[in-house]
Amino acid sequence: MPVPELLDRFTTDPDLPLRQHAYQSPLRDERLAAWLGAALGVLFTTCFATGLFSHLHQHPLSWLPVPARPAGLYRLTQGLHVACGIASLPVLLAKLWVVWPRFASFPPGRRIADAVERLGVLALVTGGIFMVFSGVANIAQWYPWHFSFTAAHYWTAWITIGAIVAHLAAKAPVTRRALRRPRHRPALADADPVLGTSAEGLHDGLDRRGFLLTVAAASGVLTVTTVGQTLPGLRRLALLAPRDAGDRPVNRSARNAGVVEAAMSPDYRLRVEGRVATPLTFTLAELRALPAHTAALPIACVEGWSYSARWTGVRLRDLLAMAGARSGAAVDVESLEQHSPYQVSFVNHHQAQDRDTLLATHLDGEPLSEDHGFPLRLIGPDRPGVNQTKWVTRITVL
Amino acid sequence: MSTSHPAPRGRLFWIGTAAGWAIILYGLRGVFHHSLDTRPSQLARFWIGGAVLHDLVLAPAVLGIGVGLARLAPRRRRATLQQALIICGPLALFAYPEIRGYAHILRNPTSLPHNYTVNLLLVTGAVIGAVAITAFIRRRAGNIRATSARTGPARQDIEAPPGNV
Repeated sequence: MPVPELLDRFTTDPDLPLRQHAYQSPLRDERLAAWLGAALGVLFTTCFATGLFSHLHQHPLSWLPVPARPAGLYRLTQGLHVACGIASLPVLLAKLWVVWPRFASFPPGRRIADAVERLGVLALVTGGIFMVFSGVANIAQWYPWHFSFTAAHYWTAWITIGAIVAHLAAKAPVTRRALRRPRHRPALADADPVLGTSAEGLHDGLDRRGFLLTVAAASGVLTVTTVGQTLPGLRRLALLAPRDAGDRPVNRSARNAGVVEAAMSPDYRLRVEGRVATPLTFTLAELRALPAHTAALPIACVEGWSYSARWTGVRLRDLLAMAGARSGAAVDVESLEQHSPYQVSFVNHHQAQDRDTLLATHLDGEPLSEDHGFPLRLIGPDRPGVNQTKWVTRITVL
Repeated sequence: MSTSHPAPRGRLFWIGTAAGWAIILYGLRGVFHHSLDTRPSQLARFWIGGAVLHDLVLAPAVLGIGVGLARLAPRRRRATLQQALIICGPLALFAYPEIRGYAHILRNPTSLPHNYTVNLLLVTGAVIGAVAITAFIRRRAGNIRATSARTGPARQDIEAPPGNV
């Protein structure tokens, strides 16, 4: 028997173990796969774009300084990032379920193009599953690994988005055909031997539209029960959100950061140094005696929760002016916390000169608590929470 | 006749594949270049482990549930059960690390502030209720349509002039 026929028989004969028709389902057709793929493409691309923005904040580029305004931009983008990631969980599972028999099909490719496509799909599946899993685990602060979440999530995102580009190119003709099909044309007219089936209309379960709507409902329920951690209007429905934004959560307590003793010490000082005319040192009492400014600013965590509050403290630009720093200088703000990747945060010249970038001593009219950064924390518009450095002890003008 | 899926081909495929793999290789380079942070061998175990867990555990489990559902559930209830399972399954997966309370080891009282077991039960209960009510309403609507079909066209259909239909 010629090899192509043998392969055909091996992969389609219903009596053989690798038979593709064994997985027939009326829902496994290319139109459904195309719709789910399109939805997943939009969700993943949104996650990628907003994730890049977050990465740019945390790993600034000198030639691309992030603006200080609008103040709530990071809150919006990171809220969107986490919400889209959560919403993609049911869509990813549905998409994998619809195309799953393809993973079991054998051989993996008859031509080079087949094999290349399958390799790309492997990158897409492994990357997609990892991105959603690691993201969900991270917001629940579950770390069953020893690598850095941010580094692994970031570099795997590139692999996943590259795999999406390759997959889009491979599936563009099929997707275009599937999505353009007239509504009343039989769904499986162009039956795919793996995804296609002749069983349409003979089942009692969900039809294709019902399945899509149900997957959309699953995404919707997950979104509604979590997005209240950043959208105040839905806070009461956020039953599955890892944080209650109404409690003004923190990502790292003073005890965990190991700063309680240093923060509470009467020897606490803030130092302003670096490229300044006059290095300065302040006690907490001296800082509180300086002209204070109050700003309503959101604090937005990379984990997707956020809330707005009124912060009171001395303007960073006023301190820099007192020390004789040149106008337009950028600064590093350093925490009492040791051995943390976020011990030092960079404040670019836009942010340093913004009227609302403060070294805050009060939150909503009350002195800062230890967990919120007592005695002094940085707070500025359009910055990730991890860069709103707590327990500030040094400002170095660059 | 061969029934195999048409192989990808054409200029768009090869250009997109080249662009996509360039990005993938950039990501892989990043993984190895920052190996102190990414720990490539462990990361690879998570990549592959996730896919294996899905393909060999989760997907067969869903298939098994589907087979069980097809055999045990009354035909007219299957779609409703499918809807409830499709919505509640991801909810349970999402809530798993919250229910296990892994974050409590960090002793941060603002992390995982709710009783997630109770909340998951509340949400899945609401979902099941909504799905059941929707199914009931649809069944009633279907019964009314079936009754109308047996008793002939609705009055307004008969009286309406053709131009207004």
